[in-house]
Amino acid sequence: MINQYSGIAPKRDLLLIQKLCEKLKGKSFLHVSSTRTGGGVAEILNRMIPLLKTLGIHAQWKVIEGDLEFFNMTKKIHNAMQGNQEDFTEKMWQHYLAVNRSNAENINFNANAILIHDPQPAPMIKFKNQKSKSKNGIWMWRCHIDVANPVTSVWINLKKYIERYDLAIFSVAKFSKALPINEFIITPSIDPLSEKNRDLTGKEIEKIIEKFKIPRDKPIILQVSRFDKFKDQIGVIDAYRIVKKYNECRLILAGSPASDDPEGEAIFTQVSDYANNDPDIHILLLPPSSHKEINALQRVADVLLQKSLKEGFGLTVSEAMWKEKPVIGSAVGGIPLQIVHGVTGFIVYSIEGAAFRIRQVLNNPDMAKRMGQKGREYVKNNFLITRQIRDYLSVWYAEEHKGMYVMEL
Amino acid sequence: MLPEIIFCTERLSTKGRRLEDKITSFEFKQCVSIVKSTGKKASHLRELRELISQSGDETIFHHTYQYFLKGHILEYTNDFAQWAGESLEERALAERLSNIDPYTFKAITDVKRELLRVIDDYLKNFPEPRDVLAGNEFYFNETITLIFPVGVKVKSLAEFLVALTHIDIASVYYHFYEARIRLGEGVDDFSRWIEVSLGRKRLAESIRMIDPFMHSIEKIRGHITEIVEKYVKADMEGVEA
Repeated sequence: MINQYSGIAPKRDLLLIQKLCEKLKGKSFLHVSSTRTGGGVAEILNRMIPLLKTLGIHAQWKVIEGDLEFFNMTKKIHNAMQGNQEDFTEKMWQHYLAVNRSNAENINFNANAILIHDPQPAPMIKFKNQKSKSKNGIWMWRCHIDVANPVTSVWINLKKYIERYDLAIFSVAKFSKALPINEFIITPSIDPLSEKNRDLTGKEIEKIIEKFKIPRDKPIILQVSRFDKFKDQIGVIDAYRIVKKYNECRLILAGSPASDDPEGEAIFTQVSDYANNDPDIHILLLPPSSHKEINALQRVADVLLQKSLKEGFGLTVSEAMWKEKPVIGSAVGGIPLQIVHGVTGFIVYSIEGAAFRIRQVLNNPDMAKRMGQKGREYVKNNFLITRQIRDYLSVWYAEEHKGMYVMEL
Repeated sequence: MLPEIIFCTERLSTKGRRLEDKITSFEFKQCVSIVKSTGKKASHLRELRELISQSGDETIFHHTYQYFLKGHILEYTNDFAQWAGESLEERALAERLSNIDPYTFKAITDVKRELLRVIDDYLKNFPEPRDVLAGNEFYFNETITLIFPVGVKVKSLAEFLVALTHIDIASVYYHFYEARIRLGEGVDDFSRWIEVSLGRKRLAESIRMIDPFMHSIEKIRGHITEIVEKYVKADMEGVEA
């Protein structure tokens, strides 16, 4: 299975995955998350679990179950960890713990390494000795969300569980916290073989673009993001209007509705109104499963924007770079980690800055091509799923050899 | 940690299978680092100074020596200088910090001492810099390095040239940059093997003349390849390079 990535992912990552699996052969690796479908966590686990199994690791993935009350509560935790004020009652926290307890009763924690994903199952650690036969495995908590500025009271509540783990893993250094346990940084990744990123034939692309009735007569500026005020689609339209004074172009704003965000619809309407029936602005509201469509749109665009005001990691940047496109993004969240300013795209701080850089890219096709190529290479070296799998195994191995900073395999 | 190199005084130009057997092969290895956060961050220069003074070797190592792992050349030559220039916007300080060559120091604590000296000197002579904007703080990290063989061993200069062209850049980093910490005095694994095992001193010296600070790892590979190719061609034509 790992051979599927040969020639796509860096050889060093594939080699290290194999070496680490040789060292960890026969050991068990249990993952616990809150959903089997949708989102980056499910995407990586769907690939990683079978891959590790073929390499001799007893990898398992358990998904916790909960009622609506539980998931409403954990959604609030999710939002509060990302800095939004939410109301909590003691009863809610008790229910959160009770659901975790009942799930823990059905999970066999008898594994060498246990990786718990995100806040939903975080309290599992409290019940690790519930089963008498539990091995003394390494417990890791993986935080996939932006926790740079969490609501303090919520963080304090969660922290009491996190501190019980052997280590925590964050996506970006600035999300890490002062904790008494080891903390590792593992950036998220994209899967080059997924529907969203795999190579498409010219025919496949044409079919999709025809479906959306987008003429290919002018350079295309694209932003892919859900309709959310933090994605600043209004700012993108403003930047497009500045560009339009100098260059012919089309703007595509493509995104899925956010079912968990009541403001989403209002933002979509606001953006549509703001576009004011401009025939060169295409606003596409796509179903969440439109991976192939997004893939095709990214491939026909000339320049990609990610002009967010707030962002977690913003993997759409890496997705676009993988398709050899120059990307212009704001200096928020994980965007500056992905865009090497002036090399793979540009980091901007204002609408005017975005407009200026779009013009620069549209008027310098050679530079745009060079940036695109560098971007793909950068993603290949840093943001592919194989690197993330490699890092999980490395952290596990490093924790088994705690205190060593250099290890020869 | 030292690569297996057996000293061999005969020169490659001396023909014969027996001699070839004595030449130690060069085994390509590579390293991958995983980042560990210390959970500490600085939002102004005095705080940076304080946290550098409290930092362990692994942290200083990561932010100075391992800067080249980023794979592309930024404006400055270490993370502290980059932060001083880009986030604090104190260009003069960034230039001074950038001038610190970690490979010229015998120990990491000496690098730390030099970083502190430069910052102290700056704080004494320049107005107090402002705090950085929220989100632009300096985050103190460290790394755990995993070293593993690539599965490629070479015995001659020509084989070395072919391998170097195709090897992963993480391997070039390991043998060209990381080796300097192990071997000291500006010596890398490539030039050391070429000098000690193949007896090609002049070629080894040419490789050591490459400025490690001025190129990306890919460019370093290009420069070494170019130099070695010249010697391989000369060997084939039976002339002096």
